[in-house]
Amino acid sequence: MTFRQFAYRNVVRNRRVYAAFFMASVFSVMVFFLYSMLLFHPSIEDRFVREIAIMGMGAAEIILYIFTVFFLFYSMRAFLQARSKEFGILLHLGMAKGQLNRLIFIETMIIGVASIVAGTILGYMFSKFFFMIIREIVLLPALPLYFSWEPFALTIGAFLSLFIIISYVAPVFIRTGEVADLIQEVPSSGSKGAYGYSKTRGYLGLLFLGMSYAMAASTTNSVVIGLIFFLPPLATVGTFYFFTDSLPLLLHQIRNRKRLYWHHFWLLSISEGVVRLRENARMFFIVTMVSTIAFMSVGILASLTSFASQYREMSPLGLVYKSKPENELERQHIAQIVKELNSERLDYSLIRFNVLEQTSTFTENTVAILKLSNINLLAHSFGYPAVNLREGEAVFLPPSVSSYDQLKDRIVTTLLEESDVEVSIDGAYPHQLFSSYSIAANAIILNDTDYDKVFESGVTDKLEPFSYYAFNVPDWQMTKEIGLSIDNNVTESFLSGDTNQLPYSFENPGLRYSVIRTTFSLLLFIGLLLAAVFFLAAGSFIYFRLYTSLDRDRKQFDVLRRMGITDREFKKIVNRQLIPQFFFPWGVAFVHSSFAFLSLQVFWDALAEISIVRELVIVLAGFTLMQIFYFYLIRWRYLAHIRASG
Amino acid sequence: MKGNSIVELAEVTKIYEGKVMHRALNRLDFEVEEGEFVAVMGPSGSGKTTLLNLISTIALPTYGRLMINGIEPEALKQNDLALFRRRNLGFVFQDINLLHMLTVEENLVLPLTLDGIPVPEMERRIAELAARLDLSDILNRRPDELSGGQAQRTAIGRALIHKPKIILADEPTGNLDSKSAKDVLELLSHINRTERKTVVMVTHDPIAASYCDRVLFIKDGEFFNEIYKDERRQTFFQRILNVLSLLGGNVNDLSSVRLP
Repeated sequence: MTFRQFAYRNVVRNRRVYAAFFMASVFSVMVFFLYSMLLFHPSIEDRFVREIAIMGMGAAEIILYIFTVFFLFYSMRAFLQARSKEFGILLHLGMAKGQLNRLIFIETMIIGVASIVAGTILGYMFSKFFFMIIREIVLLPALPLYFSWEPFALTIGAFLSLFIIISYVAPVFIRTGEVADLIQEVPSSGSKGAYGYSKTRGYLGLLFLGMSYAMAASTTNSVVIGLIFFLPPLATVGTFYFFTDSLPLLLHQIRNRKRLYWHHFWLLSISEGVVRLRENARMFFIVTMVSTIAFMSVGILASLTSFASQYREMSPLGLVYKSKPENELERQHIAQIVKELNSERLDYSLIRFNVLEQTSTFTENTVAILKLSNINLLAHSFGYPAVNLREGEAVFLPPSVSSYDQLKDRIVTTLLEESDVEVSIDGAYPHQLFSSYSIAANAIILNDTDYDKVFESGVTDKLEPFSYYAFNVPDWQMTKEIGLSIDNNVTESFLSGDTNQLPYSFENPGLRYSVIRTTFSLLLFIGLLLAAVFFLAAGSFIYFRLYTSLDRDRKQFDVLRRMGITDREFKKIVNRQLIPQFFFPWGVAFVHSSFAFLSLQVFWDALAEISIVRELVIVLAGFTLMQIFYFYLIRWRYLAHIRASG
Repeated sequence: MKGNSIVELAEVTKIYEGKVMHRALNRLDFEVEEGEFVAVMGPSGSGKTTLLNLISTIALPTYGRLMINGIEPEALKQNDLALFRRRNLGFVFQDINLLHMLTVEENLVLPLTLDGIPVPEMERRIAELAARLDLSDILNRRPDELSGGQAQRTAIGRALIHKPKIILADEPTGNLDSKSAKDVLELLSHINRTERKTVVMVTHDPIAASYCDRVLFIKDGEFFNEIYKDERRQTFFQRILNVLSLLGGNVNDLSSVRLP
């Protein structure tokens, strides 16, 4: 048997132990590879989607990478410590320290290379499926499977370097890890490390969390922006202290209440819980934070469905084109839009408004003026009834839904300065025909005769009349391909900084809506995948910890068995130890995100009406199922190991 | 002397089946009277621990009949067996096996919590036991803060707190210095005398065995000899040594380390 064979057999024969670790590594490589496949996809031409993809996927890859580093370090340490007895024997038999290091290096590299190969192959197999999901979300025409060296190079390069580093560093854990490690039951390590906690930090954690919850629940519009920067760090620190100190503190309080504590299995479960908590506090913290983010992105996505209807209310028109008199491209642009609408076979009604401006003597401000017949035409296309105005009468055109209430009972008589037309404005136009503030903050509708009078009085320099083309497209979400070139011009001029330079502007709510929707969906999807990796890793980590303490647990089991614990009772005890580890971080994450939504309600007034419950339930149920499956798998393995005490 | 036998083995054979078949006990007859303090001695691998496991009901005989306190463990279901152990048996181990995350007090009370006994009753029993076993000052310590003797006293307390009929001890002095070992043995024999508790102790140590009423010697899973105590512990000790030398060989070997 050569040295390499020895290392290889070590790994292969220990496969049960390595299984969870291997699975988590493979999964993390696979997800990383999928992200890179999208990152380098040649046929994403849409600049915007490309940007989101690169940003989102890039960020996700970095997070995943960092997480994997931590995961591997923790796991390797736990694992090598579990085998310290074996290493001790090897050293005892006369293996040189250098040889031992080489042994560990080879073993780690075997697992590393195996998981990279498996992860990449699996990733490539699933990439078509992955692209199909992405295509559904992003509403791209097609994302063909492609073969290019880049994603392979990135994945293999990233993880191979990672495993090499880990393999080199890992042997350090054998010597220094023992002392530093709190997990291993070394009698000399004393009780401070395993049971100690700081009361101050414990109370601080509770205080921080309480403060964040209270503030989140009682936010008002004026402070919400400040809180966005203040609350997340506060809640994060609070959560960290909560797991490292507050929970031990609370459990300690329970220990002092004998009526509660000395009751059936609580004695065993709670005392064991304290130890496990201490070992895994950081892991719980990470899982909690990730789940919170996952829940929140699901919630936000879900609220977008209602956002769609609100968005429609805010921008009832399918397309809007505004043109100043000096615009030479006006005819050309309108022709282009009409042509594109026709070729997409979309129904539309086009009404052209000549919006005039006058100075009102009543407020000394400029007021935009619209023609009643135009308004009635547009209203007709929406199916609203026509409105009648006599000569000298006018109504306000409320700039937004909420301003209607303020304007509907107002009566004002004013003189339009430039044209010398006197009108009495009585109430406001009841329907929302235009996007909010898209005409002007201050606008009135005039009877046709009065409007013509104003029109004939001519144009002065100060005032800027403009043409407003309102396209009412019932299938407003389908218009994202319409007028793309015009939209790009507007965006470019906006990005280059010279606003108001272009003599025209173009609004395409359908396009904007699809961009918003796409962004959120993509982020959600990325987040869910990341969360899945994290959960899997957290689960495998718990398994590791269990494995590390297996010898100790076996002894305990032996004691308990002699003491007379039935099989069912033993299962119950194990359940009570495992279930909190698997599900408690979720509970905290759930509370976190609920409070976060409470404060987000300020942004989305109508959030209360939204049924985000359904979407949340689906996602929660999905993850819970996964988690339950994993829980049973690990419990099954654990019980088998424990009972094999012999 | 035929009294009430609380433990009764008739032609008990235990075979461990595995990759290598191993006959640990062979047609062993053995009885323990109620209130007796019995030691089981024998060389490594003679089947002492197997015998104790059978009496503990965590292993069942392959052949033969085993009665403990009037019941036959084989006839009971797993659950009932567990309950039986919980109420009738108390254990003291060589490597003490206190639960490391529990304090002394909590370790003591553990068997009671499993049976759902009211807290005031538990506290009463702890106070009583702690006074008797000299544990009152260390009730709030953790196992890793105890000396060997204190730890073993705690373990004995844990074995006594639920008032079992039989106490089973597996090398209770194996890991202790001579002073602590003497304390523990005197404690066990005191409990045996004052409370009429039956004690079955497996040991290598002739000094420990000399505290008992009777010593059973087994070799290779079979009955070898049996001697009763006499007036003086000193002569009893001498007779035990004599039998051991007859047993031949390696009685004073290190006890076999039981790996999980």
